[in-house]
Amino acid sequence: MTYTTFNREHFNATQEPMFFGRNVNVSRYDVQKYPIFEKLIEKQLSFFWRPEEVDLSTDRRDFAALPDHERHIFLSNLKYQTLLDSVQGRSPNVALLPIVSLPELETWIETWAFSETIHSRSYTHIIRNIVTEPAHIFDDIVTNEAITKRARDITRYYDALIEGVSLYHQLGEGKHTVNGEEINISITDLKRRLYLTVVSVNVLEAIRFYVSFACSFAFAERSSMEGNAKIIKLIARDEALHLTGTQHILQLLADGQDDPEMAVIARELKDQARQIFIDAAEQEKDWADYLFRDGSMIGLNRDILGQYVEYITNQRMVAVGFEPAFAIKQNPLPWMNSWLNSDNVQVAPQEVEVSSYLVGQIDSEVQSEDFSNFSL
Amino acid sequence: MAHIVKILEGFSFIPRKELTLLEALEQENVSIDYQCREGFCGSCQVTLVAGEVSYTTDPIAFIPEGKILTCCCQPNSDMTIEIPGGCKMKQRSS
Repeated sequence: MTYTTFNREHFNATQEPMFFGRNVNVSRYDVQKYPIFEKLIEKQLSFFWRPEEVDLSTDRRDFAALPDHERHIFLSNLKYQTLLDSVQGRSPNVALLPIVSLPELETWIETWAFSETIHSRSYTHIIRNIVTEPAHIFDDIVTNEAITKRARDITRYYDALIEGVSLYHQLGEGKHTVNGEEINISITDLKRRLYLTVVSVNVLEAIRFYVSFACSFAFAERSSMEGNAKIIKLIARDEALHLTGTQHILQLLADGQDDPEMAVIARELKDQARQIFIDAAEQEKDWADYLFRDGSMIGLNRDILGQYVEYITNQRMVAVGFEPAFAIKQNPLPWMNSWLNSDNVQVAPQEVEVSSYLVGQIDSEVQSEDFSNFSL
Repeated sequence: MAHIVKILEGFSFIPRKELTLLEALEQENVSIDYQCREGFCGSCQVTLVAGEVSYTTDPIAFIPEGKILTCCCQPNSDMTIEIPGGCKMKQRSS
């Protein structure tokens, strides 16, 4: 029940469930219960990038030329993105690593969280480049009411799971009195918290992030803040992979072959899980009100962003097997597709950065007949 | 051999055989969402009503039963698909 960093029992890890089985011992990938997680890890590693690769010198000029209400949109959006990645850079590790039971899934969680730390570093890179006093912007993230309200919605499921798991590790299952309060710790309850957490993480990656991407790309769509958009493109590529990861986890949990109890829980909590999607969509629409409070920008306003929220929410709900919640059928921002695709930037050949590559793909077996066409 | 692709509530066409289904749909000017175009994001899913496809690369995205990922598959037989939101044509920019 207490967490151990190296479980000394001898057992077959492929017989364990994804979560709440035995703690992992050897990080081995020769035998895997779910090879999909290793594919995700390899893909994520092939994406490796650094924010400093992207030149932001024109963004500083663009930013200075923006009218006040557009600066408010740009900076608020950036603050929101910073908040999201601050949460995602640590929470999967803190919440999920203590309860994970498969080595390949454990490593995927670490790889996933690490890539979020690159995103956080890139926001600092952007902010440093466009304003002279970055501290004002970062400080506002914890004091601005509109943003702290978001933080509460995003973190509550994570925090509930972390609290439950730490009490479980300390006290074990059963009734306990903590600080004069009687609490009942049960694995079933923790599994419920886990399920809701994974749903809310999927919502964060698949809906909340995409709403923020829409704002970033709306600037670039009219040829402003294009360096920023380049960075967001790289972030969007990572997030697409992460949301695939949580969709796989949700599907494996709901399927019941991994842990039959989890399938029962997924069925029980279906309405509540669906409501997390719907609530998030409403929160994102409220956020759009705040973004556009002083005026819209060309190509994007409160209504269009609201429609996009509904559209993307529907799409993500269907992807994890829920009935869509909204009537909208058509993507109100068709230009998002080409901005979200990271490999279609038209640049001069000498400026091309290959944005996805794998190392170790060279064929090192050279035979003498490979040179047969050469003559000296 | 060429295969016929039928889009529900849309039209039928014969894609060029070197194209992925996504590229073929785009060439027919059908509006369809995409993001990664290499099988990991899942944006370009459609419902496979009838027929078979073969994948050009192993998709990483989670694909629910009955769906196919158009960015990395090609028709293997005559087939019928349903595009989420219906078959809408792209607005041509003049």
